Amino acid sequence: MTKTVTPGKLLLKVAVGFVLLLAVMMLCALVGTQKISLANVFAGPGGHIDYIIFVRVRLARAVLAATVGAALACAGVVFQGLLRNPLADPYILGISSGAGLGAVIAVISGFSWTLWGRSPIAVFAFAGALGTVWLVWLIGRLAGRSNVTSLLLAGVVVNAFFSAIIMFLTSIAKSDQVFSTIFWLMGNMTEEQFHVLWLSGGFVIAGVIALFYISPQLNVISFGEGDARSMGVNTMAVQTIAFAVAAAITAVAVSLSGLIGFVGLIVPHGVRLVFGPDHRQLLPLSAIVGAIFLVVCDTAARIVVAPAQLPVGVVTAIVGGPFFLVLLIRHARKVGWLVK
Amino acid sequence: MSMIDVSHLGFSYSEGEVLRNLSFQVGRGFFLTIAGPNGSGKSTLLNLLSGQLRAGSGSIRIDGAEVESYSTASLAKKVSVVRQEFVPVFGFSVLETVLMARVPYYGQLGFETKHDRDIANDALEATETIRLARRQLGQISGGERQRVFIARALAQDTPVLLLDEPTSFLDLHHQVRIYDLLKKMQIEKAKTIVAVTHDINLAAQYCDELLLLATDGNCYKGTGRDVLGPETIEKVFGVTGFAGRIGTEKFFLPLGEFSRDRPNRMS
Repeated sequence: MTKTVTPGKLLLKVAVGFVLLLAVMMLCALVGTQKISLANVFAGPGGHIDYIIFVRVRLARAVLAATVGAALACAGVVFQGLLRNPLADPYILGISSGAGLGAVIAVISGFSWTLWGRSPIAVFAFAGALGTVWLVWLIGRLAGRSNVTSLLLAGVVVNAFFSAIIMFLTSIAKSDQVFSTIFWLMGNMTEEQFHVLWLSGGFVIAGVIALFYISPQLNVISFGEGDARSMGVNTMAVQTIAFAVAAAITAVAVSLSGLIGFVGLIVPHGVRLVFGPDHRQLLPLSAIVGAIFLVVCDTAARIVVAPAQLPVGVVTAIVGGPFFLVLLIRHARKVGWLVK
Repeated sequence: MSMIDVSHLGFSYSEGEVLRNLSFQVGRGFFLTIAGPNGSGKSTLLNLLSGQLRAGSGSIRIDGAEVESYSTASLAKKVSVVRQEFVPVFGFSVLETVLMARVPYYGQLGFETKHDRDIANDALEATETIRLARRQLGQISGGERQRVFIARALAQDTPVLLLDEPTSFLDLHHQVRIYDLLKKMQIEKAKTIVAVTHDINLAAQYCDELLLLATDGNCYKGTGRDVLGPETIEKVFGVTGFAGRIGTEKFFLPLGEFSRDRPNRMS
């Protein structure tokens, strides 16, 4: 039994979700190796070191995690819907290997400049991600009629090819370079400057709103392009916008935090199982759940082996893998695509 | 003026020519079925009529204007399409599926109006699927699903309804119910219906005319009584069998080399 989505109910859910997200971020910012007291935090800026830890360090990092989580979850929703493939994730069209290649090149060439406060790794990863998606999109278009299949194949081939180059470059790199490459590939949160947070957060929110705007069309497209066209949807325009926006927010996420797996796969599935497949609801709720999920995982990454830190990608994979298996087994009977 | 006017239509894939110099008209409120052997271009013709493919030569006019002259959105207000029954990847409910036909009419915020809901409800009532409204598409039977896709096409509120083998995977009961439903739509809602089918006998009971496409590029158009004779069938499908008459309509049962009642069987 599913209920159809109405604007009022959706607004309520989004509001509740947003309040929940803020609460989780506050709670997570209170947790950590260094004990801080809420009273000291409320004393305001300049008052106490606790304020600096809470706002400048932990809250800033929570905002970053929320931004990345929201971006990955939304991109996952879009790629699953457009490719009509429940196993799709934000990285499926080669973004991961493209960004990885960019990062490896940046590490090996040993650049030390910064661009708007961003390291060469971030800049190269961003460019690599977008460049690869563009390349895959181009190959998919040239390959012909069945758009979705050729895109998937192009993604797989480009992914394999770039991964080979990454392995080649890593094999000739110095050992400390290899370490920073691997560390980056695992996915990490670091404390960022506020203007980076504002910029990327704003960009991802704008992206989610743009995707929400075309979400009724995404619903129709998940029935196939032919059906969508005969129902009056300009599939070419919708697909182009959706791919471009999803790729852009994924590239932002990747340049902020490296390759964090599973978020873009399990969050859309979890939200779909609970709230149904309507993209008008799926997109905003996945953004919120993705944000909460990554904030919690990153807090775990900070405190589990404190004072050391785990890469957050390790936490999402360890939590996400079994969770996904449970979902798969429990709902295998319910979900159409698993029983042919 | 006829609703669909096909003249000197030709179409080729890179593998070869499928349709050659095909001309026919479908009047307003008319029910035409298209039949023919595999590879005779039935589905290609349907894709041309629905604007999914572009004509190689000749022209298709729908409601007086060339198919190519319509935008995707405006063609969707003239022609709705029911493709072969399938289960979509994600678990949309029956009501959500039918409401999707209204997406081009949604407002800025992307939500349906009361009017859209009423239209979807009427379509569910007409196809007798209203009791399934909240079920998921994957959880209902093939016959029910096909009715839901017809409901979606009705919710699109178009004068022309195209169907690609609407009964191919259905049992006898559901086959008859689908044809009854189509006939009802023709009579009550004045729909112009074009259906591709393999079931010429059932189609003959319901449609106004049949168009038989042969692989050699010939075609035969007429009522069931005109075109369901054994000679025409043999020319089009390359098969012989038993041609009979039920009441007013003819029927044809194909018989092969090893079938028991083959007319010239030696035994």
